[in-house]
Amino acid sequence: MIALKALKKNPFKSILIFSSITIAVMAIFLISSVSQGVIGMYSNMIKTDGDIIITQKGISDTFFSNVDASIMDKINLMADVKSSYAMIVGASPVGHIPIAGIYGTSSNHLEHYKLTKGAYPESGEVMLGKNISKQISSRTVKIGNKRYKISGLYESDNGFEEGGVVMNLEDAGALFSRSSSFILVSVTSPNATDALVKKIASLSDDIEVKTTKSFIQEYNQFKIIEKSSLVISSLAFLMGLMGIASVMSMIVNSRKEEFGIMRALGKTRLFIMKNLFFETLIMSFSAYSFALILSLGILATLPHIEMLQGYVNGSLSVTTALYVLASTIFMALLGSLIPAWIASKTDPILLINQGCS
Amino acid sequence: MIKVSNVSHFYGEEQVLYDISFEIKDGEFIFLSGDSGSGKSTLLSILSTLLKPSGGELLLDNSPVEDIKNIDLFRQENIGFVFQFHYLINYLSVYENIALAALQSKKGNIEKLLQDLGISSLSSRYPNEISGGQRQRVALARALINEPKIIFADEPTGSLDSANSKIVYELLAKAVKNGTTVVVASHDMHVQDYATKTIRMVDGKI
Repeated sequence: MIALKALKKNPFKSILIFSSITIAVMAIFLISSVSQGVIGMYSNMIKTDGDIIITQKGISDTFFSNVDASIMDKINLMADVKSSYAMIVGASPVGHIPIAGIYGTSSNHLEHYKLTKGAYPESGEVMLGKNISKQISSRTVKIGNKRYKISGLYESDNGFEEGGVVMNLEDAGALFSRSSSFILVSVTSPNATDALVKKIASLSDDIEVKTTKSFIQEYNQFKIIEKSSLVISSLAFLMGLMGIASVMSMIVNSRKEEFGIMRALGKTRLFIMKNLFFETLIMSFSAYSFALILSLGILATLPHIEMLQGYVNGSLSVTTALYVLASTIFMALLGSLIPAWIASKTDPILLINQGCS
Repeated sequence: MIKVSNVSHFYGEEQVLYDISFEIKDGEFIFLSGDSGSGKSTLLSILSTLLKPSGGELLLDNSPVEDIKNIDLFRQENIGFVFQFHYLINYLSVYENIALAALQSKKGNIEKLLQDLGISSLSSRYPNEISGGQRQRVALARALINEPKIIFADEPTGSLDSANSKIVYELLAKAVKNGTTVVVASHDMHVQDYATKTIRMVDGKI
């Protein structure tokens, strides 16, 4: 097959195209995956253990929310409520680490964190996530202005949680001057959720009650991350695709002499276009596959990089992967076939002479 | 038969051919001579349908070239080319370069043709693995494979020594003996020894 021979006989050019496409596709994957991953981790943290979320009314970010945790006493008495717990989510310097996530939680939710060493924290104690623990070797750690004893270590599937510190709700309340950031309620039956949302909302004028599903959909921070990541990944995507198209176009332009010779030998435009089509298809598909494998490898490694404390995570959806595949091939074909088509309409001798110049 | 009537050509604003008219009969060996820049390569490109003239008419077997429906196929079936720089495709072997030009029905003749030209041992080699003289013989094999009616050669010996030049001219003369029309554009006055007719070009005119 001529297409394969052309790729094989020009290894430098082939490697150049292959690398350009690989890097462009990887940039697209990594930028969009990391932003998707950030949203995914935070929303999973909320979704995992609750059907209903209670936050302070009129607060756009859970970091600033303050909900009276004593409201749980009334909620727990309601029919169809399975359990509830309060959480404080904050960020603070932890020991020599400039910033880390602090998760204060009710004692009934501590078991959510899988203990790998020691015990769950009592008052004045904290337990460290797997990632952050690699950077702290002492028995105590200073958080804010207070020193806490390290009671144990935990694991979590969530990168945010693994890079953070868990303490009990009261200690976190003292640290961040609030009762709780939000309360999560689990229900016995999904059918009871909407009625419970209304019932809980009637308990106080200062709270906002939503199903966790609708909260995640409407959460402002997610919308901001989603929109900004969409803009960044779209730009990366566009730049990547333009790069692919221009590399292909440069390569095709550098082969005008060859096309001229083929035309002089009586090869039709269709023959030239067909071979170039297969050449581009082979190149773009193999570069895409390589980029996909590399990206998946990098995404799998990211949560384990100590320096990132597990905060940078990525998730790559099948839809994104397919969309990028289709776009990559389309742009590569566009970049190669348009100049080839224009070239094929030029007089063969002019193509040969252009190729020589 | 090739008939050229009032052909002129411009590259941008610059006119390179002026009102050229002549005829080439079947089986002739035409020597298109002239200095560099006299327009002989441009005229050869027009005659061989590789370049559309800016003005005038080219008739091939009494049909205007514009009326030929599939000019690519026409070229493949009727015309062979030999260029000064051989223009072999570097990623194809000697055999594949010839096969690329060959009509399906002529592919079986490649081995024999390579033998006739004394280059059968080069069959699997690539253009950058053979000498200039050998490349030009491969280019000649590529031009001959479809047993074309006409062969156009533009400075076919421009990059060859005299021994290899002689081989090329003798092969072209042999093709003429077999009924092929050959048109050679060259500075090399030795072509005259083989040509049946010489057309001299001066400043875009004959």
